[in-house]
Amino acid sequence: MSTEITLLVNGERRAVPVDDDDLLLDVLRGLGHTSVREGCGVGACGACTVLADGHSVSSCLARAVRYDGAALTTADGLPADDDVVEEFVAARAMQCGYCIPGFVLMTHELLAENPDAGEAEIDAHLEGNICRCGTYLEIRTACVNAARRRREAAHTEKESA
Amino acid sequence: MTAALHRPRDLGAVLDLLAGTDDPMVFGGGTAVQILLKQGVLAATDLVDIAAVPGLADLVATPGGLRAGTMVTLRRMETDPLVHDRAPLLAQVYGRVANPRVRNTASVGGNIAHGDYRLDPPTALLVLDARVELSSAAGVRHVPIREFFTGFQETAVGRGELVTALDVPTQPRGGAAFSKLSSLAANDWPVASAAVLVTAADDVTREIRIGLGALAPTPVYVAVTVAATGSDDDAVDAALAAVEPLIDPLPDVRGGVGHKRRLGRVAVADAVRAAWTDTPRDIPREPREEASDDHRLPFRRLRRRR
Ligand SMILES: Cc1cc2nc3c(=O)[nH]c(=O)nc-3n(C[C@H](O)[C@H](O)[C@H](O)COP(=O)(O)OP(=O)(O)OC[C@H]3O[C@@H](n4cnc5c(N)ncnc54)[C@H](O)[C@@H]3O)c2cc1C
Ligand code: FES
Ligand code: FES
Repeated sequence: MSTEITLLVNGERRAVPVDDDDLLLDVLRGLGHTSVREGCGVGACGACTVLADGHSVSSCLARAVRYDGAALTTADGLPADDDVVEEFVAARAMQCGYCIPGFVLMTHELLAENPDAGEAEIDAHLEGNICRCGTYLEIRTACVNAARRRREAAHTEKESA
Repeated sequence: MTAALHRPRDLGAVLDLLAGTDDPMVFGGGTAVQILLKQGVLAATDLVDIAAVPGLADLVATPGGLRAGTMVTLRRMETDPLVHDRAPLLAQVYGRVANPRVRNTASVGGNIAHGDYRLDPPTALLVLDARVELSSAAGVRHVPIREFFTGFQETAVGRGELVTALDVPTQPRGGAAFSKLSSLAANDWPVASAAVLVTAADDVTREIRIGLGALAPTPVYVAVTVAATGSDDDAVDAALAAVEPLIDPLPDVRGGVGHKRRLGRVAVADAVRAAWTDTPRDIPREPREEASDDHRLPFRRLRRRR
């Protein structure tokens, strides 16, 4: 069955016709969000990560019809000066880059929930993302730095308030 | 053949579909169903998506503990203050399933209904003596989690039945721990897991409750008593003796029988030692909740008889 659903993708409202068994992964890629990538296809690698209403989801296991009305974030929709992306670039946390959108979004979810996250929390939250190039140490450095930057920004905001 | 997707908006419609279609399958979080579909091994004619049914995702306090509707996500069980307060062991174990993305999507009901012998949450639900609520067009019945896993990939969920909620008693005072060992990757399914709760059987005896995952064709529960004055080594020895006859591993890519048996002993020893050490010398006798608590009744009766 085909239905029309509404997705709020990176702040933009999109009406999309979908079949019942269409995966969110394919729908988003069809809309041009090619930072959402297929790796394992079974929820285990994180390459297809998107945030739905702030929560990370493996779009390879998600039926699009379930996300009617949801606010979705894909890595390509993050602003140019996104703090997490900047720290990933500064730490040179990528080789081929295939896995990085997933790691960036997982970091966003973690820091939104817990800006005080340290290495242990970072490891626990990102452990289910796989990087075939093996840049894990640089990725962890990027997350630690992004967390610090978030804390400093919050502190400055409080000071100036 | 693709199965038809139904998205009913109330419980009655769900139960009618489960009773009235050829080969229905509930679609909860869908993390397991989608994989089976991709593998082409699903024979269902109709998928019944229960996400739009009101009330199924409620998580509430009850006089004796907490009640989680079937669609409460594993991640909510991991993070919600209510679960941390009433059953911290449960929150810990839910937090060790798969990865945050799967936990954000998977449901507590779908998790147990999946019936896999390696699932982590059953280990904690077993030691906490949770109860599963099953609804069908014929009415509602309750099954203790200790009777829920009936065979390899088989559960007590009957044809036409829907898991609607899990009732979990407040975690008794004492010590608790969870140990999960994986052989392929840190974040992989376990080859052995053990949830352990140490609590007071009476003034001089402690009960060690053990829930095992991945070590037999179903999740397994066993309890053993040890003198409160015993050492952690005594506790570990008693626990290992109790689980020994129950460990019956299935060999697969994650390891052979000997490997899994060995890791099973390590998981049990680690969790029992940690839980025993975590147990205060004097476990307060009164349960945390004063309100009536029918889940704890058999336990109280046991104590009075002694
Ligand atoms: C990458 C990956 C890693 C994993 N690692 C682990 C792990 O380490 N430990 C672990 O414990 N689990 C692990 N899992 C399994 C995961 O816990 C299950 O897939 C999940 O809990 C199933 O829940 P769901 O809501 O998505 O179920 P669904 O996929 O919706 O359903 C699963 C089964 O239950 C039935 N069902 C669903 N809801 C109901 C209901 N209310 N009433 C009756 N039947 C119902 C369905 O028909 C189906 O048969 C992993 C999964 C993935 C994808
Ligand atoms: S492609 Fe979705 S988690 Fe790997
Ligand atoms: S940078 Fe290549 S997969 Fe991670």
